[in-house]
Amino acid sequence: MKKLIAATAMIATGLSVGAAKAEDSVFVGHLMDITGATGFIGKFYADGVRDALSYINENGGISGTPLEFESVDYAYKVPQAIANYKKWRSRNNMIAMQGWGTGDTEALISFVAKDEVPVFSASYSGHLTDPTGKNPKTAKPAPYNFFYGASYSDACRAMVQWAAKDWKDKGGEGKPVFSHIGDNHPYPNAPKEACAEYANELGFEVTSPVVVSMKPGDFKAQCLTLKEAGTDYGYLGNLGPSVVSLVKSCGTVGVDPTWLANIWAGDYETLKTIGDVDNYVFPVMTSFWTDEGVPGMDLVRKISMESDKSGKEFRTHHYIRGICSVYYMKEAMEWAKENGGITGANIKKGMYARTDWVPKGLEGVCMPATWTAEDHRGINTVNIYSGEAHGGDIKVTKLETVTLPRRDDWLGY
Amino acid sequence: MAGFSMRPCGDFRTTYRQDTRIFDTTFVRNAAILGIVAVGLIPFVLDGYYVNLFIQISYFAIAALGLNILVGFTGQISLGHAAFFGFGAFASAWINNHTGIPVLLSIPLAGLVTAAVGLLFGLPAARIKGLYLAIATLAAQFILEDFFARADWFTGGSYGAAANPVNVFGYEVTDDFSFFYVCLFFLVIMYVLGSNLIRSRDGRAFVAVRDHYLSAEIMGINLTKYRLLSFGVSSFYAGVGGAIYGHYLGYVSAEGFTILLSIQFLGMIIIGGLGSVKGALMGTVFMVLLPEVMETGVSALSVFDWANSTAVTDGLAYIKEMAIGLAIILFLIFEPDGLAHRWQQIRAYWKLYPFSY
Repeated sequence: MKKLIAATAMIATGLSVGAAKAEDSVFVGHLMDITGATGFIGKFYADGVRDALSYINENGGISGTPLEFESVDYAYKVPQAIANYKKWRSRNNMIAMQGWGTGDTEALISFVAKDEVPVFSASYSGHLTDPTGKNPKTAKPAPYNFFYGASYSDACRAMVQWAAKDWKDKGGEGKPVFSHIGDNHPYPNAPKEACAEYANELGFEVTSPVVVSMKPGDFKAQCLTLKEAGTDYGYLGNLGPSVVSLVKSCGTVGVDPTWLANIWAGDYETLKTIGDVDNYVFPVMTSFWTDEGVPGMDLVRKISMESDKSGKEFRTHHYIRGICSVYYMKEAMEWAKENGGITGANIKKGMYARTDWVPKGLEGVCMPATWTAEDHRGINTVNIYSGEAHGGDIKVTKLETVTLPRRDDWLGY
Repeated sequence: MAGFSMRPCGDFRTTYRQDTRIFDTTFVRNAAILGIVAVGLIPFVLDGYYVNLFIQISYFAIAALGLNILVGFTGQISLGHAAFFGFGAFASAWINNHTGIPVLLSIPLAGLVTAAVGLLFGLPAARIKGLYLAIATLAAQFILEDFFARADWFTGGSYGAAANPVNVFGYEVTDDFSFFYVCLFFLVIMYVLGSNLIRSRDGRAFVAVRDHYLSAEIMGINLTKYRLLSFGVSSFYAGVGGAIYGHYLGYVSAEGFTILLSIQFLGMIIIGGLGSVKGALMGTVFMVLLPEVMETGVSALSVFDWANSTAVTDGLAYIKEMAIGLAIILFLIFEPDGLAHRWQQIRAYWKLYPFSY
């Protein structure tokens, strides 16, 4: 035990860093993963969040209140995420946080609810959408968790809805076959049952899920399983590199279903890496960098210049989603400032203060969202795009906008 | 006078009882008690960040001690410790949610359930060793990870399981301040139990199995029994550590118990010192604090303008991650016996000062 005292004394002297802060500023913590398991997409999203926070800070803060923030790469390690959260909470008086993945967001649910710190994460698990635990299936209510976008479950449902129509339009006969493809891991599994249930409801034949490792490799065996099952629509639950390997492997063995990718597995970069694919469908929650005539893109381009002075660097829609996440928080903070002060509890109220709102300046970029004290499904509308890639030539076209009903049995699921 | 020194000059131990005391002298024992009291004051003196670090250290240290009993004392190997750690977390949540047994009791019960699972996976250990055993335990890691994601009735599947806060006589421990004492309680008990085990007949049998299994067998030690027992004890510790972790977070997700955590546990005992109870604690302190110290160093740089560009901060993030690997390599080269050994040398230096022989 003597060693423990010595060690503690060492930490106390070694780690203490004066936390000087301006009295009237507000602090926002930013957890990002750029070196960990999800770093390759985490980086794009983190850049969006960082640039947006810096931009706000340099342009008047929260209605004049300076914004302080710290971006920490926690490398997708839950203990580091918790330690950082506690540090920001006890030293910087953090009032809101921009988070990232499923692991850290879930680990922090209880803490943030108790401390009243709203967390805006990039984990779109359906069960984060039930703030009160109204749905009996909700393991733990998440009253202080928000995210910008449709949940994984809703995005998958929207694509299934589109697929049902697509099947009819193409004159398909009989029941179309739907397969969930992904690792046996919380992230790909998040929408598995919810989406399969809805596919059943819409008249699909749902096969057993096909397990494909999250780590890229040779997946020809799994592709042959898809071939045998006669899959017409395959939901891709994994992340970039694994999805790329799968689509390539299936191309080699001549399996060519319509791919329904999850939101993190569909972007220009992924299509470029796949190289040769038709029928690649994915959900998008913002405009694209290349979109013209969208009023809000001016602000996005200004924000982008925070880390790229030339303004020419290509940004993915993950980056733009990061900006939306920050700007919803910003407006909720502004509301809080006018209604009793910027505290966590007031920011939460600020999120409920309006319906179908888009942050000022981002019109056309972020989609209108509504959060209520009973329902944290901010967005139930999904833009569905299709991607094609042929020898470096990439074509992305919008297929449809699907608006899902806010069904009670879908809340938190 | 002898009672006041760290160890009296000369070795006066004349019985086995004296030779196997938990604390060498009364002084060491008193110092340890004082140490625990001093640690107990942490929440009054330091802020929430340090309290959280201590809580992290305690649940990891309990699990690391379990692994050290298996690897350091018995000479077996396990690459699946994180899975047992996770199993304890889920088991405790399940016991508490489904039977209503209070959390304080469900934590040790989860340890027992995990020990049973450990024994099951430890069965091959009775027959195989070395690389073969490493692979068998690796299988345990993957089987359990898959089980966590599939067994909806037990773990809640992908959704994870809710774990209730600790409840002591009607008082709900929901803040770190109180939880700190729950952790301290378990840490002290588990470490005293661990130290006691090692000096017992069974503990010595573990060491004999490690040092030379053939000699041990000739001496009448039942190899199968002790190898299995070691797996059981190790899993018990992992289960208790995991259960505390689960109830601290209030939520257990299958995502957290990967092979990387298993390797981190191995790192803890290698850095701390294989075959040393205090080494397990020291190694855990090191592994928990290193990323934090690195992070502080990296953020301290942000006072310079050049360190604020995205390219530099991202570069520093990579350096921070690499430093952990570097620390392990440096330890393997320069301090293969771990921090516990270094501590012994520091003690010996002061005991013999100014004569270094």
